[in-house]
Amino acid sequence: MRFHGVRSSILSLSLGLAVLGPSDVHAETVTVFAAASLTNAMAEIETGFAAATGHDVTVSLAGSSALARQIQQGAPADVFISANPGWMDALEADGLIAQGTRRDLLGNALVLIAHDAQHPVVGIGPDMDLAAMLGDDRLAMALVEAVPAGIYGKAALESLGQWEAVAPRVAQSNNVRGALALVALGEAPYGIVYATDAAAEDAVSVIGTFPGGTHPPILYPVAGIAGREGVAPSALLDYLQGAEARAAFERQGFAVMAD
Amino acid sequence: MQDWLSPAEWEAVRLSLRVALWATLFSLPLGLGVAYALARWRFPGREVLNVVVHLPLIMPPVVTGYLLLLAFGTQGPIGGFMDSTLGFTFAFRWTGAALAAGVMAFPFMVRAVRLSIEAVDPKLEQAAATLGASRAWVFLTVTLPLILPGIIAGTVLTFAKGMGEFGATITFVSNIPGQTQTIPLAIDLLLETPGGEARAARLAGLSILMAAAALAFSEWMARRVAARVGGR
Repeated sequence: MRFHGVRSSILSLSLGLAVLGPSDVHAETVTVFAAASLTNAMAEIETGFAAATGHDVTVSLAGSSALARQIQQGAPADVFISANPGWMDALEADGLIAQGTRRDLLGNALVLIAHDAQHPVVGIGPDMDLAAMLGDDRLAMALVEAVPAGIYGKAALESLGQWEAVAPRVAQSNNVRGALALVALGEAPYGIVYATDAAAEDAVSVIGTFPGGTHPPILYPVAGIAGREGVAPSALLDYLQGAEARAAFERQGFAVMAD
Repeated sequence: MQDWLSPAEWEAVRLSLRVALWATLFSLPLGLGVAYALARWRFPGREVLNVVVHLPLIMPPVVTGYLLLLAFGTQGPIGGFMDSTLGFTFAFRWTGAALAAGVMAFPFMVRAVRLSIEAVDPKLEQAAATLGASRAWVFLTVTLPLILPGIIAGTVLTFAKGMGEFGATITFVSNIPGQTQTIPLAIDLLLETPGGEARAARLAGLSILMAAAALAFSEWMARRVAARVGGR
């Protein structure tokens, strides 16, 4: 029985290798840590990259801050895509970024959304009175001190002179998708999220886009992780900057940074 | 000493105590009733009640929080009714944080009390009844003293869970300083903020102290109760 078991596992192993074929013997798995706002785009990247190169991709999605802290603690990430440059800077300062791999990959816009589908478009500028629009209701945002979408949103409201009046009415979620859900459910009439989040949710309508000058540029840097360089990670870094990935990102509403 | 925690962090400590206290106050009588019904009565829907009580223990806290948002938000059936008819709002207020804490802690209360009720020998209650005591009097003078250790255990667990609840709270009522930003939400915020580790550590240290104090108090209570019940 025992011999039989060994023989059959050798048989199935060699059969498996034969089926995989010689070119796929070197297939590797790349682990990508990506910001939560990339959820929909990364699903497309995953299948596209596997079809193009034969390598597998494992995507771990969370807030950029949580991912960066995990990488600092030695998490096995090969590639990191952050939703803001700050956390990438922190990794770079710790010497955790592979030399010469960092690029600004994507850009995004910040929008004001409403639950009411019939809501008229609002001119976003110093004349807007967001506090009056809110009344006793809440403005849904990501954490304004910690999560990039919240930090950008606070900066935008500050530069428009709205922050002081609005601050007591802000409900902060621990990621931008949480704020999106509050507006989609109508619990908060207004919210501030990325343009890409608003595009992914039918139950909210975009009533204004914050002018680019009101907040620091929203950039998504990508980089390989030091000590984890290899064929598959660099293939993924190339793929992310190629035409196929560009189309996938643009379908989700991202601006793709020209190199 | 004032600089040890910022005013917002002291506010989080006070809020946590308030949220946990109210969650415990409401869970106690309700949990006692449900535990008694589950332990002693056979009625249609008993298994369903048992499952519903345990759901917050089984489901991810974020799911519990989302379901609370659907039901008790101002757009939800229960929350909408309470908001428009009774003028009582859960959404984005400390009351909602207390509701989330109470719901998440409820299975702990029910389990602890139920186990202690099931351990009571029914013959003691029957003996009291044959001596002419009414059912309510039997419960108050025989059952209640015997299950007091279970009630204390359930109360401490509920209070502790109420102090530490995170996932359901942030999903249901978000993070609003002074309204819903309890200690765990404040710690989460500090950990997500670059350079916030030291302040997070101080807040975590304080919550460990508070938890240890609550536990010591409950042990002391339990010993006193055991001495009184056993000494009779």
